[in-house]
Amino acid sequence: MELNIRLPESVRAKVKLRENEDMHYCSPYDISTSGCKQELCYLAVTNLRLLRIDCGGIADEIEIKDIETVKCEPQVGQGILVVKRRDSDCEELFARFTMKHVTRIAYMARGLINLRDGVNKKIISTELEKTCPICGTPLRGRSKCPKCDGGQGVIIKFIKLCGAYKLQLFLICLCMIMISSMQLVRPKIQQLFIDNCLREGKGGMNAIFLFAAAMIITTFLSIVFDSTNYWLCNRMGTSLSKDVRTMVYDKLQKLSMSYITDRRPGALMNRMTRDTMEISGFMQEAFSGMFSCIVTMVAAVIVMFGISVELTLLSVVFMPVALGLSVMFRRNIHRRFHMQWVKSDKTNSGLQDVLSGMRIVKSFGTEEQEARNFERLTGEFCVIQRRNEIFWASFYPLLTFIMSMGVYAITYLGGSEVLGGTLTLGRLNQLIGYAWILYGPLEWMTFLPRRITQLITSLERIYDILDEEPAIKDGEEPVSKQITGEVELRNVRFGYHSHTPVLEGISLKVKPGEMIGLVGASGTGKSTLINLLMRLYDVDDGEIVIDGTDLNDLKVAEYHSQLGIVLQENFLFAGTIYNNLRFSKPDATYEEIIHAAKLANAHDFIMKTPDGYNTYIGEHGYSLSGGERQRLSIARAVLNNPKILILDEATSNLDTESEYLIQKALERLREGCTTFAIAHRLSTLKDADRLVVIDGHNIAEIGTHNELMEKKGIYYGLVSAQLEMQKIE
Amino acid sequence: MENKNVNKNGENEEFDLAQMEEETAQMLRLRYLNRDNAVFERTKGGFVSLKIGDEFYPRVGVYASFPFADPEKYISIREATEKAKEIGIIMDLNADVDAETKKMLKEQMAVRYFTPVIKKINSIKDEYGFAYWDVETSNGRCKFTIRMNSSSVVYLTDTRLLITDLDENRFEIPDFTKLTAKELKKLDLFL
Repeated sequence: MELNIRLPESVRAKVKLRENEDMHYCSPYDISTSGCKQELCYLAVTNLRLLRIDCGGIADEIEIKDIETVKCEPQVGQGILVVKRRDSDCEELFARFTMKHVTRIAYMARGLINLRDGVNKKIISTELEKTCPICGTPLRGRSKCPKCDGGQGVIIKFIKLCGAYKLQLFLICLCMIMISSMQLVRPKIQQLFIDNCLREGKGGMNAIFLFAAAMIITTFLSIVFDSTNYWLCNRMGTSLSKDVRTMVYDKLQKLSMSYITDRRPGALMNRMTRDTMEISGFMQEAFSGMFSCIVTMVAAVIVMFGISVELTLLSVVFMPVALGLSVMFRRNIHRRFHMQWVKSDKTNSGLQDVLSGMRIVKSFGTEEQEARNFERLTGEFCVIQRRNEIFWASFYPLLTFIMSMGVYAITYLGGSEVLGGTLTLGRLNQLIGYAWILYGPLEWMTFLPRRITQLITSLERIYDILDEEPAIKDGEEPVSKQITGEVELRNVRFGYHSHTPVLEGISLKVKPGEMIGLVGASGTGKSTLINLLMRLYDVDDGEIVIDGTDLNDLKVAEYHSQLGIVLQENFLFAGTIYNNLRFSKPDATYEEIIHAAKLANAHDFIMKTPDGYNTYIGEHGYSLSGGERQRLSIARAVLNNPKILILDEATSNLDTESEYLIQKALERLREGCTTFAIAHRLSTLKDADRLVVIDGHNIAEIGTHNELMEKKGIYYGLVSAQLEMQKIE
Repeated sequence: MENKNVNKNGENEEFDLAQMEEETAQMLRLRYLNRDNAVFERTKGGFVSLKIGDEFYPRVGVYASFPFADPEKYISIREATEKAKEIGIIMDLNADVDAETKKMLKEQMAVRYFTPVIKKINSIKDEYGFAYWDVETSNGRCKFTIRMNSSSVVYLTDTRLLITDLDENRFEIPDFTKLTAKELKKLDLFL
């Protein structure tokens, strides 16, 4: 998202900036104080001032150094910018804007605070615009506007990709030319047959046999070429989409977590499956017919001109009419069927709603009411469906009739020419044959632009992933080193969207082998802190230093291999226990694996499963209990001999016995490991060397259990509340 | 609030259930505000402040309980903080406060809710899963784009529509049966 929108020249001319004043952030705002929509109004942040600019120039300004707080508050259907000056005791409504600008202005507010505090880091946004800021076209998850940026880019890339299939493309072209020639040659054979063989009994039985054979051979050949063409296109399409799918998958693995979490999982799935399918679909349905159709049509027109210029012109004249009609009808049909689809969707979701809430419906005794509701929905669907079917049945033949007007015109005028002796019967027949060739694919061709647009959209979405640079990657000279587990956070600031900070000013020094317990209410940023330690995200500001080296300078993959991670919900892949355990260290020996399992108190239950370490777990496989899964993931974490161990709610949701076993396992594991543990049940953290209480985006309290209990602050409150709850239990 | 609670064992605890229960009870209480107990005033910054007895709030949020069905009844006055804790409720803007207060609270509601009313539909064009609207609204002419799915246009009542565009701006058609036949035809796809 662009955070410094360029002012239009007309506005720019009226804005007088001071000497050494630079524009840092700029965004349009579009609601006046009275609530009217307005254009050409901007909010701008320079290194000195916050400006409100309208068509008359600067309408309002505040010196940045005078600003105490500035917030972009999302309301319902709009956002407002609220400023509090240092010398004032009340907040001030500075600007109103529609939701289109909320995110940008929120970033801007953040940037303003940075400028005021002298933080020399420019806020940038990785979020995507929903619509093009210039022309308003929906971007559908693409980073560039296809209209403003030109859509040819991806097509060229796609053609380059097809370059790997030169031989197949050559064969396809050959097939297409052959198909066209077969189609064109048939009316010619018929013409010769009628004019040279049938008329006036010129030819004998031999000639008839020859013509019949020629017809059979051309038909047979066109079938052969048709299916070869289809087969080749199909093959090329599926291979292409396989290639693209692999490329997208490889890229997704490399991209950072922030890219993945910024997008809905469904959207990424769609790119992997639906968008890549679109490529093979296009190759099979559109590409295979596209060129042969065009070649055939052009050739047919040329041959027709050779026979009769007037009649050809006559038939060509109707083409735009037929094409126009077809486009018009298509829109109407699309509209009708979309409506049917909407109604069916409504009926379905209504049904699903009631079926999944059946217990509620029954317990409140509203079956009758729901039945009436459903009757109404399904009734509406029925009316639309009936109307559409009638339309389909009556209008479609009519459309075909209108579309073949050219053929009727040729038949009529050509017929009279035959009677007049200026045209032979065979030639008329040939012309009619070509006219059908011209008009036949018209209907199909009206769908082509749609197919091409769909393909381009899919390609754009695919290349949007492929062209993305991973946000987290190795620095220019990554440092490769074995860490001891010394961790230092220096004034770390981070937010998933950099306009809303989750953590601010976090500073903490951890000695190797120390255990740190992270405590705080949910949503305060404990897991976020751990995500930063794992370098799934990069900090916005400040630094994380591991053994004296900035985390950003360490080799990412190598650093990750020295971490051990146990989460609350541990993901085990479908496969055997053995494969799951050695996930972090594929070359682990049997001895290492058994040792790790023993450390994690997992060996005994693994041995009790039917196939020991080779037991298949996952869907339809051996089902493990929560505690067992947890112990497996601990074994997986320990196998790597990690130097930093991260436990995020590792023992919650477990029964007391499993928790005890896991606690014991973790105790063994912690030896020689720097440990960061998050737990809601505070008793789990009793062994921690230090407890860090996170509240209000930063570290509120820090110290040992006893120190914090004496302090009677937040931690004390949490412990007391838990004791109280246990009494109630 | 110092609230000491002595439990059965005779131990003193500063953090305690009583305080939590007190807070819960407070949440349940409906505190009605009216011209007798509440003084609203415009602030310099364009917001509204509230004084109830000793309590003073330099800025309050004005929320409607039924923004569509009855936007002037049960107006919740809330703290202007992230938690937006409720301070009290005005049962009826027309009966419980004077005209001037009603006016300033309505202004604040305009700062919270922005849902332009569609007066006239110039055109609706649908293309590849999106619909491009060009309309005249109560707040001026507007062009916007919506996704062609069921959640973009929802029925608030049988005749009232709420339209949400790609950026999550909202538009309202209070009664679509009052549109002209020509406009209705354009809207057909969403009804």
